[in-house]
Amino acid sequence: MYEIFNIAGLMMSFLASFQNISFREKTAWAMAIILAAAGFFYFDKVVRISNALGQTAPPLIGLVIGYVILIVIASVIVMSVLAVSAAREADAPADEREKIIADKAGNWSSYVLAVPALGALWHYSVQMDGNMLFHLIFLSLMLSQISEYVFQIFLYRRGA
Amino acid sequence: MAKAPPITNRIRELRESQGGMSQAALAEAIGVTRQTVIAIELGKYSPSLESAFRISRVFNLGIEDVFGWEPPHQN
Repeated sequence: MYEIFNIAGLMMSFLASFQNISFREKTAWAMAIILAAAGFFYFDKVVRISNALGQTAPPLIGLVIGYVILIVIASVIVMSVLAVSAAREADAPADEREKIIADKAGNWSSYVLAVPALGALWHYSVQMDGNMLFHLIFLSLMLSQISEYVFQIFLYRRGA
Repeated sequence: MAKAPPITNRIRELRESQGGMSQAALAEAIGVTRQTVIAIELGKYSPSLESAFRISRVFNLGIEDVFGWEPPHQN
């Protein structure tokens, strides 16, 4: 019972601090959560299909399209809600600190794209598994996008 | 924890001395978000030269009356 109150208290304080953060930080939180959830949905399916086949699943183009549609719909809904709740901030262009944060996060996330992509190429050169190459490159893209928003959140919290 | 930039400021003190100007009002006056004003006040972010001039003008002071610079200690 005590733990439930503790968790509820934590959630309340998180929601209270969420109201105090800038529109762009809120969008970073929203996009990071949406992309992570969609990525989990996608790779959960890939792993299940691979296990059923007994080998790496081939590229699942239908699933990739579903992943993209899911992200677009979820982003539009969440961004609309956030924009309505802070219309003035949403209309205003990014200020100097927000631009610096976006630039730094974009730069750092490029390494998150490059390192697993190089690993995927090395894996292909050894194993010659084209299906795995596809999934690893797609994973690199996902991780890079998620990390960009995570780095933004980190910089907003820590100071840029 | 991030290393604090060597730029210091008296923004909070000046806001309070000038009728308790809010962070949001200052942010609006200089064209940044309230969170950026908070970050500047806390020393987590050093503003651009243009923003530093804008802030100084809001308080009708010179830039060195609002901002200071403490050079890092040399070992």
